[in-house]
Amino acid sequence: MRIAVAPIIEARDLTFGFRAGRAVLAGVDLAVRPGELVVLLGTNGSGKTTLIRLLAGTLRPQHGTVTLAGRPLGDWRRGELARRVAVLPQHLDLPAGFRVAEIVEMGRAPHAERLFGASAGDGAAVERALREADAAELADRSVDELSGGERQRVLVAMALAQEPELLLLDEPTLHLDLAHQLSLLDTVMRLCRAGLAAIAVLHDLALAGMADRVAVLDRGRIRADGRPGEVLTPALVRSVFGVRMTVATDDEGARHLVLEPRATGRVAGAG
Amino acid sequence: MALRVLRVIPPLIAALLLAACQTGAPSPSVVASSAIPSGASGTGASAVPVPATHYPVVVTDDAGRDVTIAADPRRIVSLAPSTTEIACAVGACAELVGVTDFDDYPAQVAGLPKVVIGAQVDVEKVVAAEPDLVLAAGNGFTPDAILSQLDDLGLTVLVLYPQSADEIGGDITLVGRTLDAGAAAAREVARIDDAVASVRTAVAGADRPRVFYEVGVFEGQIFTAGADSFLASLIQIAGGDPVTGDATTTSLALEDLVAADPQVILLGDAAYDATITAETVAARPGWGEMTAVADGHVLPMPDDLVITRPGPRVTEGLLALARAIHPDRFGG
Amino acid sequence: MRAAGTLPATARIGALVGGPSLARAAIVLGAGVLLVIVAVVVGVGVGTSGLAGPLDAAGILAHRIGLAVPVSWSPGAEQIVWELRLPRAVTALVVGGGLATAGVVFQALLRNPLADPYVIGTAAGASLGAVAGLMVPTLVPALALGAGTAWWGIGLAQVLAFAGGLGTMLVVYGVARTGGRVPVVTLLLVGYAISSVLAAATALLMFFAGNRLGAIFGWLMGSLGGATWTDLALATPLVAAAAAVILVRWRRLNLLLLGDGPAAHLGLDVEREKLILTVLATLATSAAVAVAGTIGFVGLVVPHLLRLVLGPDHRLLLPTSFLGGAALLALADTGARLAGGVPVGVVTALLGAPFFLVLLRRTRAIGA
Repeated sequence: MRIAVAPIIEARDLTFGFRAGRAVLAGVDLAVRPGELVVLLGTNGSGKTTLIRLLAGTLRPQHGTVTLAGRPLGDWRRGELARRVAVLPQHLDLPAGFRVAEIVEMGRAPHAERLFGASAGDGAAVERALREADAAELADRSVDELSGGERQRVLVAMALAQEPELLLLDEPTLHLDLAHQLSLLDTVMRLCRAGLAAIAVLHDLALAGMADRVAVLDRGRIRADGRPGEVLTPALVRSVFGVRMTVATDDEGARHLVLEPRATGRVAGAG
Repeated sequence: MALRVLRVIPPLIAALLLAACQTGAPSPSVVASSAIPSGASGTGASAVPVPATHYPVVVTDDAGRDVTIAADPRRIVSLAPSTTEIACAVGACAELVGVTDFDDYPAQVAGLPKVVIGAQVDVEKVVAAEPDLVLAAGNGFTPDAILSQLDDLGLTVLVLYPQSADEIGGDITLVGRTLDAGAAAAREVARIDDAVASVRTAVAGADRPRVFYEVGVFEGQIFTAGADSFLASLIQIAGGDPVTGDATTTSLALEDLVAADPQVILLGDAAYDATITAETVAARPGWGEMTAVADGHVLPMPDDLVITRPGPRVTEGLLALARAIHPDRFGG
Repeated sequence: MRAAGTLPATARIGALVGGPSLARAAIVLGAGVLLVIVAVVVGVGVGTSGLAGPLDAAGILAHRIGLAVPVSWSPGAEQIVWELRLPRAVTALVVGGGLATAGVVFQALLRNPLADPYVIGTAAGASLGAVAGLMVPTLVPALALGAGTAWWGIGLAQVLAFAGGLGTMLVVYGVARTGGRVPVVTLLLVGYAISSVLAAATALLMFFAGNRLGAIFGWLMGSLGGATWTDLALATPLVAAAAAVILVRWRRLNLLLLGDGPAAHLGLDVEREKLILTVLATLATSAAVAVAGTIGFVGLVVPHLLRLVLGPDHRLLLPTSFLGGAALLALADTGARLAGGVPVGVVTALLGAPFFLVLLRRTRAIGA
């Protein structure tokens, strides 16, 4: 599965703190290659969102480097960056009154060539994005009428209309029910098989278990990074999340993570 | 807020005519191109032969502007009741083609087209009247913006702003010169001078009480004669010592009024508002302390219009003031 | 379900992408242009004097642009049409269009439908500048030399109003800026605080205004009465240039509606763009206020109303707001003239507000 291609994004020895002497991230290394979906796990306050913002170029690291396609992130012009990297934020209020197609077309802004109209390429990209995000039938709807799941699909479509090489998702399943969570992850995985690189912050260990690769952030450091089966061991889960977990294997040989309903007390210290 | 403001504006604008001019214009008005003396020279004026006006003539108005009158004006627009009266006083009533909706004297102007409505100059109506002379009032009574617009439209505008009884005569002379009506103007000036002289004679030697003339009280602000205004000069001629307000706004703080302690209070606003009487004034907070109130020298002035309008009927206004201030000198 | 829905939907999307269809945009913009023409024709053909009716007005305009038309009107009529009504109507277009465009920008920047062109203190600064300009001849008699007092003050008031509006915006923006960012709430609060200071300063000046008070009130209430070709020559290029540059930035305005973060992720330099748009909108506002005083309502309601009707896409909202604001103010000013010179802001509010309320209720009813 792991192909010997150059990483699209690579973080080296990232250190960042909002206040002096209190590092949110310390010495983080992370490289993601085209076609990979990396799920980022960690407790609240472990630095996941900060890492996403550093990778998106929204924040600048105090120490260490982020390179996109081999070039330091700081050297990229905003427009160039937006043609390569799309971000699905934790929360976005869709502005009222727009139709879904208009919102998705906003994703074409970094590629815009025409002053007022949209090019044929823009039209095709919007159409493709809507289809890939399973939002094609929403195109003509007003964003004010959408359910939570539909809104999330529209946001995914907008991000895909950017035709990015790297997709950053910060807790994209936060407002979704179970079916929609699975559907979203399914979409992202399908896109990754077509060459997209994606990093998704998730909280659900079961969902994370479906990805190719899981990285666990613990108090600002990468605690583990690898295949879910190797990373999500009862020992690590207990140590990082303070939760007891057992791994069960069913009759067909599939692994299932089973959480026990009692915290171990470790969480209290995990601010 | 805006509505309150609107209520205050008309009286404020009216008060402007009672304020002193601050602009450094030469005063009293003089006719630039000739040596005709202003009306201040006394009763002999009518005896002096007045030369006819030869056009074009350049005159200097009360805003200090040199105005060229190309030919004898035949169509005159007047933007203030006072300028209307001055035009009529020199016999040019028939040449008026536009006046204000406030014009009421002489009676024949009532039927003329109104180009000023609710203190707003309708420039389009002024232009439509095709005037060869526009008479405007100074000190902001005719707004500066309107004056400059009329200038830009190529109209001939004469700004009148008399600050004393003498200057009213000067303005009448100025308008007479402008309209080639020097003789009529000289007769009017002589009439005014005679009236002034007789009032002076009548009050000569009398005590000069401190006189406060109430133009209006709005939202607690008191408006009266401005320092060096023609109203203040009338009160002086009428044998009073005027309590004056700010030179430009004509307003006066109650505290200053109480400190000035007028011995006579004349209620100009009572001419328009029946609720303003000696009794209601006495009941105003702070007003009861004044000598005029205590002594009962608070008088409504039904003749306010001719007292505060700087036109030829200033003689009537002066007489009304003198009678109010010194009733004993006029045989009751 | 996905496979079933894809094909027909795809066919539809093709037509949808690219925002408003060309035909719809053409119809809407054509209607706007037509409305503006009607507003100008009415404004030029109607007046208080009874002179120069619509036919005369049309003849005079044709004559003035060099057409061979038999002259059947008086010189006074020509002067009324060419030097009074037309500059006034055109000033209304420029001012109304500029204010409505600025309103669109501030409503998008602040993501607040209650924002208007004056929201960050532009009006307070312009008012202080104008009042100071009107009073300079009183305060500094040396400047009142020459052709009397007024002439100097008029031009000065406009220059200072423009400078006051623009300067206030820059100060407000500078104070609100923290750590390279200008948070919306801070901007509004700083704008409010600085407006209060400027309003107090204006009131203080007015306290000493004396015989200028009438002129000051007239200016503060907003009027197109003094419109001249000279004023227009100053204001028109500013408003037109600002509106054009804003229009070209329609896509960025759309992105800003998504919020700062998402807009940045779509390649927008958010803080820089906000500053550019604020400066452009303030330029248009200050130029409009300098020639016409603080006219309210147009900048607030026209963008809002058109957003209800046409949707929030700035590609269409910006040009239609310009046209709508222009036509509304021109028509309202004609009404104000015929009503004996009442402040035009009173007419816009009296006519526009009920219409706006009806539309608001109907749209909300459909939405619900």
